[in-house]
Amino acid sequence: MKTEKKLILAALGFTAAAAAALLSFSATAQNGLAGGSDSQTWDAFGGNQQAQKYSTATQITPDNAKNLKKAWELHTGDVGSGAHYTTWGATPLFVNNTVYVGTPFYKIFAVEPDTGKTKWVYDSGALGKSQNQGLKNRGVAYWAAAAPAAGQSCQKMVYIGTMQGELHGVDADTGKPCAGFGKNGVVDVNAWLTTNSKWKIGLIQPPAVYKDTLILGWAGDDWTLKTENPGTVYGIDARTGALKWTFNIIPPDQLNNTGTANVWAGISVDPETGLAFLPVSSPSPNYYGGDRLKEMPYVTATVAVKAETGEVVWARQLVHHDIWDVDINSAPTLLDIDKNGQKIPALIQATKMGFLFVLNRNTGEPVYPIVEKPVPASDVPGEVASRTQPYVATPRPTIPDTSPPVSMLADITSFGQCSRWKARLRDEGRYTPPSIKGSIAWPATVGGVEWGGGAVDPTTNTYVVNSDHVPQVYTLIPRAEADKLYGDKLRGAGGYAAQAGSAYGFKLENFLNIWGMPCWEPPYGTLLSYDMNTGKLNWEKPFGQVQKYGFYMPESWGSVTIGAPVITKSGVVFIGASMDSRVRAVDLKTGNVLWKHIVDAPAVAQPAVYTYKGRQYVVFAAGGNGILTPRLSDQLVAFALPN
Amino acid sequence: MIILASLIVMAISVYDYYSPETGLIGTGGVETTAVAGLLMLLASLTLALKPNRGRFLQGFLIVSILLDILLSSVAGYFLESPVIMAAEAVALIGWLVNVIGDAADRSIETDEVEDED
Repeated sequence: MKTEKKLILAALGFTAAAAAALLSFSATAQNGLAGGSDSQTWDAFGGNQQAQKYSTATQITPDNAKNLKKAWELHTGDVGSGAHYTTWGATPLFVNNTVYVGTPFYKIFAVEPDTGKTKWVYDSGALGKSQNQGLKNRGVAYWAAAAPAAGQSCQKMVYIGTMQGELHGVDADTGKPCAGFGKNGVVDVNAWLTTNSKWKIGLIQPPAVYKDTLILGWAGDDWTLKTENPGTVYGIDARTGALKWTFNIIPPDQLNNTGTANVWAGISVDPETGLAFLPVSSPSPNYYGGDRLKEMPYVTATVAVKAETGEVVWARQLVHHDIWDVDINSAPTLLDIDKNGQKIPALIQATKMGFLFVLNRNTGEPVYPIVEKPVPASDVPGEVASRTQPYVATPRPTIPDTSPPVSMLADITSFGQCSRWKARLRDEGRYTPPSIKGSIAWPATVGGVEWGGGAVDPTTNTYVVNSDHVPQVYTLIPRAEADKLYGDKLRGAGGYAAQAGSAYGFKLENFLNIWGMPCWEPPYGTLLSYDMNTGKLNWEKPFGQVQKYGFYMPESWGSVTIGAPVITKSGVVFIGASMDSRVRAVDLKTGNVLWKHIVDAPAVAQPAVYTYKGRQYVVFAAGGNGILTPRLSDQLVAFALPN
Repeated sequence: MIILASLIVMAISVYDYYSPETGLIGTGGVETTAVAGLLMLLASLTLALKPNRGRFLQGFLIVSILLDILLSSVAGYFLESPVIMAAEAVALIGWLVNVIGDAADRSIETDEVEDED
């Protein structure tokens, strides 16, 4: 069947345009790591604060998953296009016998877990304010007082951030603002960033929670200016919103040379040691580093800090002198590895590079070896690329070291455009530096593993992660030429970003032919399973399907994915993420798809799994993301076995 | 049968175009099959309602309908729409019946002419 599809495709010259959209993706804190949550709640973005994305639920099994039906759905009404274009990558929470979800219009919906009926809605009122980074949300955070004061409100709170840098805190039972949190329930986090503040920070990702401390990073813009808002992480009193500590990522003497290097993805926390693990992104300007050559050890790194003080315990830089925008972009997943009879407290840091760094989470030392390997030098005047970069061989990287060959189908249908284009570019595998003539970036800013990261079954240490295979073309444009072409625009046609203040503008192009077909061989995305006790790959399968103009491409091609998997104790993986707007159940043992269902848009975050009144539910926010497809939605949809 | 199939294709295409649960909402693929269904309907109506058509028009309509059926079947396959594929199968049967029946009619007409000679 798959072969037939390919033949028919070739014969008809279908302009699949497959990845035209490639542009540009708890257990309570008191629970230990080994068993995940016994209460089958889902009280954090990553399922628990350890970002394991694991549920002990067992009702849905590989045998009966095919019987899953829609249990309920809710349309929040918070979806938009044009000026109000939305990006909704929320994972709902299930805690306090309620499903909580944030929306890209900055509302919190509290929903009955078995019917989907709305209990209350909190509207932050942030929609009408200026949106310098668009309308984006990845959900909410939840905190409960260890010793709640009787008869008082706000002993359990839900938090939502806005793209204006405001953090709202409301009572989890009523949805009313907590007057004691900041100013009438709102903390102006933006006001804390006083150095080089160029725009309002975006609180897209909900904070992590440790005891009475919220740990909060933010999202920014790191392509347009040389000097941007410098990366900071805040420790915040969960009750009052008071600032407890600030972690400054960029050294003070570099603040006039760079910015960002912020934490825009999830943060995980070890409830036993009180360490918070921060995935730190790239510094600005992302693609030229000639002005920021000095070592910055916390940048493009995983950094462990004490959750209650912000004091750095260890840091491990995973990309030296990043000039590819390969942010460390997902919350590290915590687990205890059994290696050679020894139990090692570990974390897995999935990356855009496709490397899975497995580190001792108490020390930052590698569990599986990290080797510094020589990488290509830059030929751009002013730039000095790092001579080496960290590589890991085990676990096997999610993508190969060299970019895929040119697609024969895309090349033939474009009369050789793909091969001619590739021949003009620098293409020396991983870490080929951006160049003036253009370079194949492999992996590029898309990744590799996107911001969802992976999931782990902590009872077996089976780790599952989805990964993209997407080369892109990076071109630096000398400042005089860039100014001539684009004037003082910070963004321009053809993927232009100014990197204003530096010696080069930058152009990001998707490696597509004139018909919009990917110029490289599929697969475009895969799902992988590893045994993290040995580091060995269990299986890898193309995952999802590309859908363009409604036409589905062969399953063997896979799909670019944004979103992440979750694992249940019964051996089922649930994941949306793919371009075809389908959500799937996958057999953890084999990687075979057990069930799939169409939802209104790609579900670009991991689902939540919970059990309520004896019934197991899997809930997806099908919000979509313009990077994948133009299809957006406001659908929150739950699946369960028939009663 | 061709008329029935074309109506089914148009109906399911319109339904798919406006229904989120089909995964085809607002897509160009179902717009294409809807238009193809409409063209097939017009062609088949012409076949049915204009019996004294010329040989050229007859050939054009027969070939056009066959191409429509084949391309719509391929589209249905890639749209993963079993209804479209089933309807096209019905249309193909109708097309074969029409072609065979037409050939038989012409054969009888030829025989009659030869008998008159």
